[in-house]
Amino acid sequence: MSLINEKKDFKIIADLIPAKSSVIDVGCNDGSLLEFLKEEKNIDGRGMEIDQQKVQLCLSKGISVIEGDADLDLYDYPDNLFDYSILTYTLQATKSPKNVLSELVRISGKAIISFPNFGHWKIASSLLLKRKMPISEKLSYSWHETPNLHFCTINDFIDLCDEAGIRIEKQANLKTNKLNKFNGKNLLNSYFNEVGLFLVSKIKN
Amino acid sequence: MSENKIVELAKEQALVLDCGKSLKSIKTAYTTYGKLNAAKDNAILICHALTGDQYVASNHPITKKEGWWSYIVGPEKPIDTNKFFVVCPNVIGGCMGSTGPKEVNSETGKEYGTDFPVITIADMVRAQKLLIDYLGIEKIFCVTGGSMGGMLVLEWLSKFPEMVHSAIPIATATNHSAQNIALNELARQSIMADPNWNSGKYYNSDNKPLKGLSVARMAAHISYLSKDALHSKFGRNLQDKNSLDYSFDADFQIESYLRHQGFTFVDRFDANSYLYITRAMDYFDVSSSNNGSLIESFKNTSSKVLCISFTSDWLYPTSENKKIVKVFNTLGINVSFIEIETDGGHDSFLLEEPKLFEAMQGFIKSTYENL
Repeated sequence: MSLINEKKDFKIIADLIPAKSSVIDVGCNDGSLLEFLKEEKNIDGRGMEIDQQKVQLCLSKGISVIEGDADLDLYDYPDNLFDYSILTYTLQATKSPKNVLSELVRISGKAIISFPNFGHWKIASSLLLKRKMPISEKLSYSWHETPNLHFCTINDFIDLCDEAGIRIEKQANLKTNKLNKFNGKNLLNSYFNEVGLFLVSKIKN
Repeated sequence: MSENKIVELAKEQALVLDCGKSLKSIKTAYTTYGKLNAAKDNAILICHALTGDQYVASNHPITKKEGWWSYIVGPEKPIDTNKFFVVCPNVIGGCMGSTGPKEVNSETGKEYGTDFPVITIADMVRAQKLLIDYLGIEKIFCVTGGSMGGMLVLEWLSKFPEMVHSAIPIATATNHSAQNIALNELARQSIMADPNWNSGKYYNSDNKPLKGLSVARMAAHISYLSKDALHSKFGRNLQDKNSLDYSFDADFQIESYLRHQGFTFVDRFDANSYLYITRAMDYFDVSSSNNGSLIESFKNTSSKVLCISFTSDWLYPTSENKKIVKVFNTLGINVSFIEIETDGGHDSFLLEEPKLFEAMQGFIKSTYENL
């Protein structure tokens, strides 16, 4: 998923994380985000990655990485081990997005989640006008070969957080590169953001 | 290439063992490769497995075969002997020159035999530490080993955490399962059932317990391989014949192969050593000195660790290796983990496995660069 390799995304994520935080990047790919955060914010980073070739790449870069699956292996971490967890463009590929989200806010104080927004107008119009499953830069697979199991829209994500006892603190606008305080659900938000990028945390009882 | 060296340590102060007895003037046979640099920060300690020895990257004096980890250790290899000072000692209790049951007890002038104290993995590590101290190494850059070697690595991380910069435990476990113990007991019973074993007093006899040791090796060898590997290598193929013999000769290739493994093993291994080392593995529980708490056992560890397991290893399966990862994660230790897909079984760490090569090389290189 090409977008996450753009430094712009990295920058926004780095802006959300205070210096020297402990961070786990779940689905850390080749470790380039962790490297960037190490460089920018001197974080203490860990990775988890399901693809072994990428695990090998991380190892060769000196990144501590666990070959693992977000659906299965987050349970191995104790509560609040990290300051931040990051899940970029992976939520839609998990078997149980709700469990994964709950685990992320359990093992870390705050979680940064990004995903392709299925409610974006281009995608919605592909379905509406062409009656074809959408293929775009962020959704680059044909329907029959996609690893993505659970597409959602920004509004779906907001509802899920609500259901799972998760507070949305901030939302990034990737067009303006700005972080905004989250002001609740609205239709325009789901229409015009190709990507949802949120800072969330667990609602404490 | 390295010459075998033997050093006698604990000459003044005896080493107190877990069993309560102590050993004085402990001989350790070891090989080294490469040079220790001026900063003394490039030492790699390699811990061998049950039937391994110090000939990690040089030809074995008895079998004449190349070192057991020549694939991993050598110039430009993951453990690059151009860059690192590699030390590989024979464990105490072993039979390749280190103090063990077949060596002469200086107090009696006779071979120890079963008078040798029952040693543990922790005792082996204590003896290794004497060697590391003797070599003038304060902090080992990396400690690594597979199987029992991995247990020694874990013991190093637990007992001497300040001396270990990084570690690679491979295909191992924090303790022996009932299944592991059962397999070792089978091997020991096979040795002790051989009349030539003679309660361990066979060193001056012409009749040594070769049959018992050979069967022990055959049983163990099965546990090192996977079902798929055995099937694809041997299937039900017959050995040099076209039909069944209706006898108890080696009809099947797998029988012939196992017999060969057994026969050749006895040339290089001592039956009593096999008893002592398997016992040490069975007794192994890295958390035993901390009331069974793995968290307590590794709470002072700050090393960078890479754990490696193999999909087809049923002796020390991925689940056992992941237990280690979980503990290290909980403690916030810089741990990495990779599970290598292979049908080679437990023995995979000794095979030419490119993914093992790549993972070790990547980890060791990047860790040394960031030292």
